[in-house]
Amino acid sequence: MADRARLRGPEPVTVELSINHRTRILEIEPRTSLLDALREQLDLTGSKKGCDQGTCGACTVWVDGRRVLACLTLAITCEGREITTIEGFSDGRRMNAMQRSFIKHDAFQCGYCTPGQVMSAVALLDEGHASSDAEIAE
Amino acid sequence: MTAVTNQTISQPLDRVDGPAKVTGRARYSAEIPLPGTVHAVLVGAVVPSGRTNTIQTGEAEQVPGVLAVLTHANLPKIAAQPRLFPSLFGHAAVGETFFPMQDDVVHYAGQPVAMVVADTLERAQHAAGLVHVSYHTAPSTTTLEQGRDRAYEPGRIFGGLLPGRMERGDPDSGLAKAPVHIDRTYRFAANHHNPIEPSSTTAVWEDDRLTLYDSTQGITATRLTVAELMGLPSSNVRVLTHYVGGGFGAKAMIWPHVALTAIAARYVGRPVKLALTREQMFSSCGHREEQEQHAVLGAGNEGRVTTLRHHKLSATSPFDDWAEPSLNVAAQAYSYPNYQGSYRLVRTNTMTPTFTRGPGEASGMFALESAMDELAYELGLDPIELRLRNHADADPLTGNPWSSKGLRECYQRGAERFGWRERNPAARSQRDGHWLIGSGTATAGYPVPAFPGLQPQRARARLYADGSAVLQAGTQEFGTGVATAMTQVAADGLGVPLDRVRFDYGDTELPNTAPAVGSAGSGMVSSAVHSAATSLRDQLVAQAVAQAVADSESPLHAADPSTVVVGDGRMMLRDRPETGETYSELLQRNGVEDAEALGSWQPTGMDTGYALTTFGAQFAEVAVDSDLGLVRVRRMVGAFAPGRVLNPKTARSQLMGGMLWGMSQALPEGTQMDSRMGRWANASLGEYLVPVNADAPEVDVEFVEVREDVANPLGVKGVGEIGQIGAAAAIANAVFHATGHRVRELPIRIEHLLRSA
Amino acid sequence: MEFLSPATWEEALAAKSAHPDAVPIMGGTDVMVELNFDQHRPSALLDLTRVAELAEWGPDGSRVRLGAGVSYTTIIQRLGKHAPALAQAARTVASPQIRNRGTVGGNLGGASPAGDSHPPLLAADAVIELASVHGVRHVAAREFYLGPRRTARRDDELIAAVLLPERAGPQHFCKIGTRNAMVIAVASFCVTLDAATRTAGTGIGSAGPTPLRAVAAEEFLTAEFDWQGAGPLSEAAVRHFGELVASAARPIDDVRGSADYRKHALSVMARRALSWSVTDYRKGEAQCA
Repeated sequence: MADRARLRGPEPVTVELSINHRTRILEIEPRTSLLDALREQLDLTGSKKGCDQGTCGACTVWVDGRRVLACLTLAITCEGREITTIEGFSDGRRMNAMQRSFIKHDAFQCGYCTPGQVMSAVALLDEGHASSDAEIAE
Repeated sequence: MTAVTNQTISQPLDRVDGPAKVTGRARYSAEIPLPGTVHAVLVGAVVPSGRTNTIQTGEAEQVPGVLAVLTHANLPKIAAQPRLFPSLFGHAAVGETFFPMQDDVVHYAGQPVAMVVADTLERAQHAAGLVHVSYHTAPSTTTLEQGRDRAYEPGRIFGGLLPGRMERGDPDSGLAKAPVHIDRTYRFAANHHNPIEPSSTTAVWEDDRLTLYDSTQGITATRLTVAELMGLPSSNVRVLTHYVGGGFGAKAMIWPHVALTAIAARYVGRPVKLALTREQMFSSCGHREEQEQHAVLGAGNEGRVTTLRHHKLSATSPFDDWAEPSLNVAAQAYSYPNYQGSYRLVRTNTMTPTFTRGPGEASGMFALESAMDELAYELGLDPIELRLRNHADADPLTGNPWSSKGLRECYQRGAERFGWRERNPAARSQRDGHWLIGSGTATAGYPVPAFPGLQPQRARARLYADGSAVLQAGTQEFGTGVATAMTQVAADGLGVPLDRVRFDYGDTELPNTAPAVGSAGSGMVSSAVHSAATSLRDQLVAQAVAQAVADSESPLHAADPSTVVVGDGRMMLRDRPETGETYSELLQRNGVEDAEALGSWQPTGMDTGYALTTFGAQFAEVAVDSDLGLVRVRRMVGAFAPGRVLNPKTARSQLMGGMLWGMSQALPEGTQMDSRMGRWANASLGEYLVPVNADAPEVDVEFVEVREDVANPLGVKGVGEIGQIGAAAAIANAVFHATGHRVRELPIRIEHLLRSA
Repeated sequence: MEFLSPATWEEALAAKSAHPDAVPIMGGTDVMVELNFDQHRPSALLDLTRVAELAEWGPDGSRVRLGAGVSYTTIIQRLGKHAPALAQAARTVASPQIRNRGTVGGNLGGASPAGDSHPPLLAADAVIELASVHGVRHVAAREFYLGPRRTARRDDELIAAVLLPERAGPQHFCKIGTRNAMVIAVASFCVTLDAATRTAGTGIGSAGPTPLRAVAAEEFLTAEFDWQGAGPLSEAAVRHFGELVASAARPIDDVRGSADYRKHALSVMARRALSWSVTDYRKGEAQCA
């Protein structure tokens, strides 16, 4: 019975992820976070590591269209789901209205957490949570 | 002198690195793809004092992929220990004069005792957890309270630059004669910088040449420090940092992990990357020290303050005499004739404290400006009126005139924008449901860096025959907007359109400038960039008008250079703009691909005959839950006179960020020492609280224009720190106004305000 | 570390039975922090994100059955009417990113005394559904928390769902944090007034080794409150209720707040939550439910 649940690890396992509509195959240990997989294995460094405990939001990505924290997500649990990072968000070069607005209003300084903020801000609009400043603050 | 017609300086232009930052293309130090890079993870001491007994590395070494487990037993020794000296001066600049893993001594918890290098981050982390360290623990002192009896007066502090004691006039008699006294002690928890990018270093060796990709506020300081530590020629060390994810002082000095990474990379013969964890950031890059300040004001009944006595007691490390310079601006903030200041230190088992945004003045001006508010209530005077009565028309330290000041205008404009006059001065006089409402103000001040011994600032300007230009200076961009502002300075200096100029920075192979510390960046680097750009412009104009050389085809041939103006990449006669030619035409006709000039500027020393300080005024409105003691800041207004503002958009962001730092200093932020364990108790962003979006009030930043002719060629006084100074005091003063309770401790904790129920 | 990825609930229960030390992971918001900070090295992880049943919720007789994998976001969006206090608590959880992933099941599994969903579950007298290959059993939330991070769940069991009694009266949740969002509670409190059973419920968070109830306060309020006429409570009664709540707490001093502050804050929150609830009750809000 038990082995009907797929058992993998502890040695590195092959994981197939769909990131920004591209299939990526990687060898990782099961405990690898999506954030470390993106940054260290796939050279997708737009998602940032600020705290590694889900408080800073600099690693915000979308999984199946919902904003989540890549540091609190196991890469291996994302198989079969669509991952969107800042790099796939505006094909890297053309900027969308949110990104242009960040620049226009100088909504960043060092810029380290900016990709996470952009990913979160667009999701906020998509979720319909931006009708007032108070709602956005929440 | 040739004039320039276009003007991008002082325009609120968008950041030049904005597109890279909002698309995730901006790569920070740990994100540069380098083939063959392996990962290092540090193991920190878990006790605050003593010696390591055994360090068992066997299990870690067995982990597949592990390349080395380094401890004091096998780590190659450093060649020399540089002295502690502020990086601003351009020399080697260690943050502490102790280098770990040279022997078995443990001075502080978190001090590296082992370092694991493995092929993947996961394996290095896993193996680091399998390094078993046992300790001979010695008694430790980790708080001021524990070491108070052993406090000592250092001869000098701050790398030997400042005396431990200062005096003018006759403070004893001044206090004896004063009819009104405010005699208070203010306490400050330690603070950690917490830049959002944890520090990282990647070290790559090529024979005996070392390249470091390092998150640093001073690439040259990193180069010189690592060269000295490792016994390398300075020329063999190159440091790159293109983007830095915030610094706030954590990356102003050079900490041991940088050289440890270089040593590890040489040991394993591979590029090694070390990225500190957030928790390690609390014991790797210094902090603002725990401190208390005793301030005594002596004043006349009419509110004239005659004397300030300002003594500071603070914690330092077992090996360095460090105190942030908290007494400087307070000593010259008002016109008191009598003054005494002193520093006393307590050795504690922590690493050496260091610069933290608003170094010194953020705490010193909290004490002074809280005391001034207490005096205002004591005398029944409006807090602004009290400050105006004590306004220093000249520097009370030297008697020198200010190079520029603008403080009266800051009070006035800030008060207007805030609506200060509508305020009922009585404490606890305003209520909104269960919220008590109050407002407070404070003076802001921060010195413009002007010291003897600063290094010359250099930049290079190069113009290509196609009309595009590159300006280069070895500065670093961690969000100040320096890359944008320098592009503007370059465009104006050279007289070319903004989009034809690129500014290169973040590489020690470029001309040397000061580190980005102490609000010095924009003033120093702009002077060098301006010098390089205008030198190149003058060189090109000279070539066009030259009578002795062959180029007689220029329409400007034989013109007087002083009649030539430059704009949009074109040189022309001021009176007859149709007569002229572009730089491109000049270079192409002569078959020259580019022209280049080096600019250099020697920073202002102390012998200008002027006092150089930036001033401002802070205002805050708070609401305090009368039952729960929760404090919410409702709005803040800051008016500042920072001289020339190169880019109001980025400067505003910096000032606003500074004000929010001040709010953070006042309310959530403080590192608590668990003195039983000798470790910081809240070393994570979950427990070391900084404001979130929902805490940020409306912040209004006002610029007060002053003409500054002394500090540097463009009259830039800097905006890096001034936004923070006084903001915490304005909030604490507002809390008093709201509740009638004076909190003399930062951060203000909910427990402090329970009595307001 | 091994990784188990069941596709169905049966597979999940079988896997848990075969690997009782496997750590279930759903939203990851607790487990991942432990992994990232190397605080815990479990031999296996049991990924429950692919078990569809866990993310379902709906009526279950007279109760609402909330799958253990329903996210806080869903609770906020869908359960505001059925479980207002739980929805209020869910709104105060961390950030939107975490609310998209975090679950009540995870909160119960970790059983941190600071978990935001515990006080509403205690106050509303929710029931926890535990399952293993040997069958299903139900444990009242009020019997679930045994000690610091210790619960009535057995090693081979998984948390399947939470059963919430149909609401029959006002519920209010309060939380004190030292900033406005993204904060662990210094203390939290929940009160419920149940018109059907004419009983009051309470729950206390972050003020003891486990989530707590203020039983004496509940009994006092149950007896004191005018369930029929909804007459206002005397100021003395409200104050006494607050004192009883505070005296039920067993807080410690830590970096977030002192024990004394926590007790004081609980008495204030209890008074405020009670006053709001009585007002709601009087408005006839109870009849609408």
